[in-house]
Amino acid sequence: MASASVYRGAGFDFSNTVRNSFLEQRGVPLPKATSTGTTIVGCLFKDGIVLGADTRATEGPIVADKNCEKIHFISDNIRCCGAGTAADTEFTTALIASNMEMHALSTGRKPRVVTAMTMLKQMLYRYQGHIGAALVLGGVDATGPQLFTIHPHGSTDKLPYVTMGSGSLAAMAVFEAGWKPDMERQEALDLVTAAISAGIFNDLGSGSNVDACVITADRTEMLRNFVKPNERVEKERRYVFRRGTTAYKSEQIRSLVVEETVTRTGEAMDTS
Amino acid sequence: MNTLVQRFSTTGPAAEIRKAKEVLGEEDDVVDVMGFGNLASGVPKFSIPGVPDPSAFLKMHTDDFADPSCRIKIKHGTTTLAFRFKGGVIVAVDSRATAGSYIASGTVKKVIEINPYLLGTMAGGAADCQYWETYLGIQCRLHELRNRERISVAAASKYLSNLVYSYKGMGLSMGTMICGWDKTGPAVYYVDSDGTRLKGDVFSVGSGSTFAYGVLDQGYHWDLSDEEAQELGRRSIYAAGHRDAFSGNTINLYHVKEDGWKFIGNYDVSKMHYDGPDGRGGYGYDLRVEGKSSANPPSSA
Amino acid sequence: MPDGSFSHPQERQFNPYTENGGTILAIAGADFSVVAGDTRQSEGYSIQTRYAPKVFRLTDRAVLAVNGFAADGNMFVKKVKQRLEWYRHAHAKDMPLRAIARLIQTMLYAQRFFPYYVYNILGGIEEDGTGAVYSFDPVGSYEREACRAAGAAQALVQPFLDNQIYFKNQQAPVGSSHPVHLPLQDVLSIVIDSFTSATERHIEVGDGLEIYVIVAKGRSPQGLESIRNVQELSTNPEGDRVFVIRRELKKD
Repeated sequence: MASASVYRGAGFDFSNTVRNSFLEQRGVPLPKATSTGTTIVGCLFKDGIVLGADTRATEGPIVADKNCEKIHFISDNIRCCGAGTAADTEFTTALIASNMEMHALSTGRKPRVVTAMTMLKQMLYRYQGHIGAALVLGGVDATGPQLFTIHPHGSTDKLPYVTMGSGSLAAMAVFEAGWKPDMERQEALDLVTAAISAGIFNDLGSGSNVDACVITADRTEMLRNFVKPNERVEKERRYVFRRGTTAYKSEQIRSLVVEETVTRTGEAMDTS
Repeated sequence: MNTLVQRFSTTGPAAEIRKAKEVLGEEDDVVDVMGFGNLASGVPKFSIPGVPDPSAFLKMHTDDFADPSCRIKIKHGTTTLAFRFKGGVIVAVDSRATAGSYIASGTVKKVIEINPYLLGTMAGGAADCQYWETYLGIQCRLHELRNRERISVAAASKYLSNLVYSYKGMGLSMGTMICGWDKTGPAVYYVDSDGTRLKGDVFSVGSGSTFAYGVLDQGYHWDLSDEEAQELGRRSIYAAGHRDAFSGNTINLYHVKEDGWKFIGNYDVSKMHYDGPDGRGGYGYDLRVEGKSSANPPSSA
Repeated sequence: MPDGSFSHPQERQFNPYTENGGTILAIAGADFSVVAGDTRQSEGYSIQTRYAPKVFRLTDRAVLAVNGFAADGNMFVKKVKQRLEWYRHAHAKDMPLRAIARLIQTMLYAQRFFPYYVYNILGGIEEDGTGAVYSFDPVGSYEREACRAAGAAQALVQPFLDNQIYFKNQQAPVGSSHPVHLPLQDVLSIVIDSFTSATERHIEVGDGLEIYVIVAKGRSPQGLESIRNVQELSTNPEGDRVFVIRRELKKD
């Protein structure tokens, strides 16, 4: 029998799954992954696509990150918003971004949004929903503006305005009330901001700031922290601890400076 | 069990009949609200959920061991001890209440002062112990008024054990020691919600009891002086507070003598570890290894 | 079942409880008591309302904060108020604080086998004029304390209070000791900072803050009148006085 190799093949390591499911049965809960109980949206307008996202990441009821980035880079003309397990959305989009770059180099053409969509759905389907990524994919390519949603099990939708995450209902309500075909850039950006804000204020899983991204045929504009409606308020008191507040058992002071004496022997080397 | 449920139930056919009787005036005036005001006259009434198995219902919502996500957290984790010696009874307890890994309180009073001659300890459900031992206090006072003499510790503890036994299987959780001084001298009884009642000299109850017993059994003697006995109680709870994650914070120490109980003091477990009760050397083993290892050089160095 | 009928009786689990988020806290001073709670009520990821009070004035010297399952909480407060009303009619005075505490214990314990899913904190002034806080578990065990936080952000707020009120893990300067009671202004700052911090990091805390202040009879309200958004609720300015301070919290 061959001894266990220190090298592993590429891809996921499933060696702990049996152990973990046994532990789960015995009542040991699995460590909680950071999830982006999120509001993410995308919307089509006259010249392209506007994507939007909130910036709150949660661990259960606790806010883990107040200003995280949920709009991920796929290629110059394609971006992807991620909801669900933070690590899954991050790594899945990063992997697809790499593969898209490879594809672009080998074909010598500007990558298309459908290509990214197909790669993503095939990957998510292969993992049967165990990769908890719910995505909004948008971009502009040779075929024009494209907007998709990709669900964790691999199904996709192609729609003119889409929402995802725990705040999707709040955001969709805004879209259903306000979206119309062939909007101007500013109109679309305002609508996306309103949709994300609806998620931020009405969904507990979403919060903090609005990120937006406007993609048109000639350029992609990332509007990080486009609106900041939830600035931290100033505290009433300053909490600075007096020196000597912490009790200690013993004290030891050591000098970390190494002192040495250099004794010259013979003549100095000629370095000229 | 089923007859019990019917007796205490506020829903179901038995309750309907009882309500009808009340309307017809066939029963004494029963006030529908619960308070100690009507407790003295008999057994109090409890509202019971209208489900086939009320105790399973209660368990589902309160048993955080079986289901850590259950909504009603009942506090657990304790070390309590009591022992009898020539100078009376020493009662010592910790003050920590835990809900899972969270320390819900570090200032719990786990000695319940039933009356000036009787103490009860708290382990298990805090509310069960507090409520029923207060109730026991009322019954003990009524005994005094009726019989013109104080109740014996044996009788008081038996009253409690009979009471909790009547609720057996319904989810009460108590592990208590009833301590006092009566005609027979110092007395300690262990009573729990299973219905167990034991007379004895040395008891310790709770998750840290094994640690406390370790110190207690080693140092216990009938002829201990008052100071030695108090120190033994304190040192035993310290040991439990040190080794049991669900016990700690502070120690409450009581001494029961012929003229009733006396509160000796409240001691911080950390302070006991580093400084000891009088500030002259802690219980921790720093002192004992001083100068014996490189990590603990002599204090003069 | 293919035909949609059930050949056996079906038993459904009866679950009358939900968790409605939010946090409450109370701090006792030498001659005052502060009881506060946020006003958000939520279920899951949805906000049911941004203004649902969790703190209630019971008498001129007692305030009750209730947290947990809102329906149980509101019903419980209603019943406590009713019992206090009956007491007033029978005795022509308000029930003393320690008696209210014992009343709440017996009322909670009456539901021992079908508990109110509520955590109660009672704050107010004792008959000797000292500030007091009593905290309860859902089935009625209670204790008088100097400060207590309960609810969704309990585990965030309580360690902060332990450090700032009890001075836990803080060594006093050599030759001096920590104060036993803090002045009202300091307590109010600590309460406000507790809630703004809990709002930052807990999704179920936010929207609004209600701080009740109970000041003992004859004691100066320590500049309370000059605070913005303060309202006096007491019926007799000569006796113990109750004030409420309302503040906004972040709404995301």
